[in-house]
Amino acid sequence: MPKIKLQSSDGEIFDVDVEIAKCSVTIKTMLEDLGMDDEEEEIVPLPNVNSAILRKVLQWATFHKDDPPPPEDDENKEKRTDDISSWDADFLKVDQGTLFELILAANYLDIKGLLDVTCKTVANMIKGKAPEEIRKTFNIKNDFTASEEDQVRKENECLFDIF
Amino acid sequence: MSSISAQGVVERASAELSKRINGLGLRSSKHHSSKGSVMERVTNVFCGGGNAAVTAPEKPSRLLPSRGHQTKNAPPPPVVQARKPKTLPVYLTINQLMMDETFLTKFFFYFTPCERCALALVCVKWRDVLYSLPHYWIGLVPVLQCRELRGFRPNERSRMYSQLLRRGFPSLCLMAATNEDALDLINSFPLLSTQIITLKLRCSSIGDQGLESLMDHFQKLKELELAGCNEITEQGLWQCLNSRINSLTLTDCINVADEAVGAVAQLLPELKQFHLQAYHVTDQALGYFSPKQGTHLVTLRLHSCWEITNHGVVNIVHSLPNLTELSLSGCSKITDDGVELIAENLQKLKTLDLSWCPRITDAALEYIACDLNLLEALTLDRCVHVTDIGIGYISTMLSLKSLYLRWCSQIRDFGLQHLCGMRNLHILSLAGCPLLTSNGLSSLIQLRHMKELELTNCPGASRELFDYLREHLPCCLVIE
Repeated sequence: MPKIKLQSSDGEIFDVDVEIAKCSVTIKTMLEDLGMDDEEEEIVPLPNVNSAILRKVLQWATFHKDDPPPPEDDENKEKRTDDISSWDADFLKVDQGTLFELILAANYLDIKGLLDVTCKTVANMIKGKAPEEIRKTFNIKNDFTASEEDQVRKENECLFDIF
Repeated sequence: MSSISAQGVVERASAELSKRINGLGLRSSKHHSSKGSVMERVTNVFCGGGNAAVTAPEKPSRLLPSRGHQTKNAPPPPVVQARKPKTLPVYLTINQLMMDETFLTKFFFYFTPCERCALALVCVKWRDVLYSLPHYWIGLVPVLQCRELRGFRPNERSRMYSQLLRRGFPSLCLMAATNEDALDLINSFPLLSTQIITLKLRCSSIGDQGLESLMDHFQKLKELELAGCNEITEQGLWQCLNSRINSLTLTDCINVADEAVGAVAQLLPELKQFHLQAYHVTDQALGYFSPKQGTHLVTLRLHSCWEITNHGVVNIVHSLPNLTELSLSGCSKITDDGVELIAENLQKLKTLDLSWCPRITDAALEYIACDLNLLEALTLDRCVHVTDIGIGYISTMLSLKSLYLRWCSQIRDFGLQHLCGMRNLHILSLAGCPLLTSNGLSSLIQLRHMKELELTNCPGASRELFDYLREHLPCCLVIE
């Protein structure tokens, strides 16, 4: 199987099957865009992804390499978050910093499946939390004025799931 | 042979090589770049050339790989920056990602509408993204407490209305509304007039005049509910019901009786769903339905219409042959003969609710089992004369998915044995059945496809039984 070399931000080089690397739409587009061929033993630098995260990403991609392509799901549809496979759940038993690095890498590298499962994990993490806790988790500034915040609270307190 | 093929290989290789060289030449000439290596081009695409630093200013050092990390084959630095790619992925920090509109739009789909209410309070950006897509709010109904709203300052009130518009809610529920509240809503927020499809008025002293104004105002209104509106008169309904309405609910409105049903039958030819709870409606009212409704009306719920007898059922089955859902819950004068009429004539029924019809016996269940071959949900709560024999008839119905037998006080373990053969059953309630034993209930593990089993107030349901059921029916929600 043709290989490709990926270089992490801290200089480590990973020898990867091209097919596995191409689960990243970003890398796939790069290769096509640049006319890089499978036989060209060139190095693709990933200047934003460090070796620890890249290793995790490649571990995920290798495990999922034979997955059927994800269905073209309806973008405007509510997605479940209680259907994470046990392998993925174990894979994502990491500290919060690593989880965030993984969601960032998945977003940047455009790996749909990994982004999906990291989003589910992060969503589960903040479900049921108060707005202030959510802000703290992501370092988001509360930019509402007091009266705006009061208004938004009223606007949402009056919503009910009624028949 | 071998020399020819070797020759072929050389020719192919040469052709391939020149093709690629041409390709490279073309690409670079288009973008005024001189001989950039693959490495450089990749670097430029990923990092956006010299301007990359704008994407993540706080960490500029990570944006370009340092020279030392390049391979030994790497040529000298490019003289001219290569082309800009079409789409440049940007590496964000977690804080930037959580403020990125494209990401957030997708991310918020991992939450339920109720969960999104809390998310809207996080910051302005999150609120704005959430409020901009009506899809996020499907299933939630804004319930405006009119009494509270009256205490708001005018600008607060208008902001309340304007966010309803912004979030695209198609439904609205007004609690404790008066005629004045109705007029205030119409006057201070006219733009809602084409958005609202469903209007619910609950526990309101609104009168005919207010209702009429609202009906005129909401031009796209298709679904109307009046619950606990004691000022609305039958005359008022004659005045304001219009033919757009396809779903109507009238419950607990003191003035609603036969005349109101007359207005519904006369004025609403498109009606698909009609839900009526009125103690004084008589059999005569059910004679008002005409072939007009016969084609469209598929759901009829008559709750606690105490006066209705089997004569009323005759009227229903003759004028509304297309019903797929019928509820006569609490219509306590209905007997087995009425059910026989239903079974013989309404064979499209998928849902039948006969709860709180205490005159019904096993005979009625025999009619149902014989004729209603499409029935998927049957509710017999509080049908106290139903015995194991009746359950035996029901158990032959292969189409049945949901069966509610709450407080059917005569059912015994023997009846449960019949139920255990119903392979398609997904939902079963035996709440409050006093004669069922732990032993009998344990046989329910044979219902492998069960999704929900309700056993509240069953004296026979012990702790051990619940553990046993959960162990053997892992996919089933067992309600204690």
